[in-house]
Amino acid sequence: MRPARAAVDAAWRPPHAPEFEVLAREDGIIAVYFTAMASPCELLLEATDVHAAGQLGSAAAQEAWRIETKFSRYRPESIVSVINRSQGSAVAVDLETAALIDYAARCHSLSQGRFDITSGVLRRCWKFDGSDRVPNPDAVAALLPLIGFEKVLWQAPLITLPAGMEIDFGGIGKEYAVDRVLALVAEQFAGAVLVNFGGDLATNRAPAAGPWQVGVERPDTEGQARLLLELRRGGLATSGDTHRFLLRDGVRYSHILDVRTGWPVPAVPRSVTVAAGSCVEAGILATFAMLQGSAAESFLIEQGVQHWCLR
Amino acid sequence: MQLKRPVSQLHLGLMAASCALLSSTARAQTADANQPPQIDQPLQIDADLLYYKENAGRVQTIEPIVSLKKDFGDQRVLDGTFTLDSLSGATPNGAIPAHQPQTFASPSSSSLTPKPGAKTTLYTIAPGDLPQDPHFKERRVAGDLDWSQPLGLDNTLSYGGHLSTEHDFDSVAAHAGLSHDFNEKNTTLSAGVSEEYDRIHAHGGNPVPGSDYALYEKEPNQTKTVAGGLIGVTQVLSRNWLTELNYTYDRSQGYLTDPYRILSVVDATGLVASYRYENRPDTRARQSLYWVNKVALGSTVLDLSYRRGKDSWDVGSDTVDARLRIDLGHRVYLEPHARWYRQSAADFYSLYLSETGPAPVFMSADPRLAAFSATTFGAKLGMTAGRNGEFSLRLEQYQQRPTEQSSSLTALQGLNLNPNLKATIVQLSYHLEY
Repeated sequence: MRPARAAVDAAWRPPHAPEFEVLAREDGIIAVYFTAMASPCELLLEATDVHAAGQLGSAAAQEAWRIETKFSRYRPESIVSVINRSQGSAVAVDLETAALIDYAARCHSLSQGRFDITSGVLRRCWKFDGSDRVPNPDAVAALLPLIGFEKVLWQAPLITLPAGMEIDFGGIGKEYAVDRVLALVAEQFAGAVLVNFGGDLATNRAPAAGPWQVGVERPDTEGQARLLLELRRGGLATSGDTHRFLLRDGVRYSHILDVRTGWPVPAVPRSVTVAAGSCVEAGILATFAMLQGSAAESFLIEQGVQHWCLR
Repeated sequence: MQLKRPVSQLHLGLMAASCALLSSTARAQTADANQPPQIDQPLQIDADLLYYKENAGRVQTIEPIVSLKKDFGDQRVLDGTFTLDSLSGATPNGAIPAHQPQTFASPSSSSLTPKPGAKTTLYTIAPGDLPQDPHFKERRVAGDLDWSQPLGLDNTLSYGGHLSTEHDFDSVAAHAGLSHDFNEKNTTLSAGVSEEYDRIHAHGGNPVPGSDYALYEKEPNQTKTVAGGLIGVTQVLSRNWLTELNYTYDRSQGYLTDPYRILSVVDATGLVASYRYENRPDTRARQSLYWVNKVALGSTVLDLSYRRGKDSWDVGSDTVDARLRIDLGHRVYLEPHARWYRQSAADFYSLYLSETGPAPVFMSADPRLAAFSATTFGAKLGMTAGRNGEFSLRLEQYQQRPTEQSSSLTALQGLNLNPNLKATIVQLSYHLEY
């Protein structure tokens, strides 16, 4: 039997998303594809009703776009941009933003300051485009006074960022969106659901036919060394620097930066994949492991989590 | 795969944090599948109460202003303002003080001399005092509505209207503007046009400009129009410095005379011989160049601007304005404000007219057209109130010092013909965002 490609009803098709697609697969899974947060996104449903699945897919895409619009640092109207433009004045944030900032604050403290949502200003001198353009050490040092979550005054609902500092939810946002979309779809749908945003994924349970077969892309190998996993419940996240590094005089500069020096953490693994209870939790564990550099593996073993590390 | 290990303290902490994040936001909002993406689009409400009081029993105003701003998303914003102000007190009528008592009629009187059956309200000014009409009372209701929206990718279109009405003055205005962002939104070019139509129907009728006060000649309603344009550029110079340069031009045409202002006509010794209604040219073209800089110095923000104005009546002006916003803790800020202003007199301005010289066509003794300098000093104290509110109190002192205040004529010796003006401004504001 050929996979049937469902015609999507125009009444609920998001008009600004030409790549929104619904596909009924042969294995009894209906897949919905769309693009959000610069990633290919996939929603897999253990379902037979293509129309209902499409509506769930539409809701999922709307939620992903909502989160992207609200938290993207590239969008001038996002709350992150409002905070970054506040020039030292206090900004009152809503409950959802407050929860994300709370989360970032706890991760900052649990990582002893290594994980820091104010580190994005380093992007001004570090452009990880695969070239050999390593920045001038003075330029990097000049940015350090603008980094450090401890300089941020956070007393919910008010956040006060010293002028010149910036925050972003890179490293949290996409994983958060995966868990949110899963919760949203699972609320309205009884079957098994898997949400996959560019390799960061989460599921509520395995379909009746057996666990989800998940292929994890590994860097540098372009699909050759795809990691095949079976996932029954929980989240899976991968942190890696496939196309995001600088190479100069044989030294590989990873995009994982040490906020204390402004320079890349040495000996970072090419890729770390972690399985945990949620995508958010898996993502932060993978990020923490990368920040450990050469100690990534021992760190992950200490945490007692399932992980796959590639060097 | 590794051996199963007990969960570490750090992992427990991360699990707890992740659970807190996902559960708090799940409660915070249950998304509806059929709803469009929701972004916070707050409704902003501003309520202001402005109190302005001049010294020596002169004008005072109380002005409540309510402004609503609604963001409909995609940068489409509707902004409406409603103003109600009531003005009372004494206002100078343009005549100079004298060593003799002077008697005038309030504008609403039907003649200068009491007649049976006709309403006449007279007021007498004591020797040495500045002639002021003590019966001045005005109430103004005004409304503004503005809409702005994106047009294409990097343009913003805005347009709006204004309506205001008083007992003796009605005004209708409309404006439209277009701004274009480029250079990664670091540069904005803007241009705008505006058109205003006013109707002047003074209490007791509009006096015939330049006529003898004693004749009490009045005309029917008069009108004036104001057409203007603006071009400007805003440039982000660095992360901490934004600069903006604007040029505006406007041209007023029609009845520009103040219907309540008169001038004293004195003889060769300086004794008041008669009074005349003022008369202004019926066109006025104004240009101004405005340069403002906003500079962030740490958590302190400096707002520094300079304006150069010039008009076809020869009134040239310079304004320097500085504000500094200083955070005192994260809930309270203080904003000291200083402003310095200077202007030259209109070419037809004079303190009084002389009986002996040739009679000018255009004439006015309005202190606002005199040469003067003025300073404003004050401060605003703001504090956050509740979750999304801000409360502020502004206190300012204004002082205006006319350049020319006396005359060498014998009968005018020892008189301050155009006294200094002092005013106090108190403004209470409350800003709320939903």
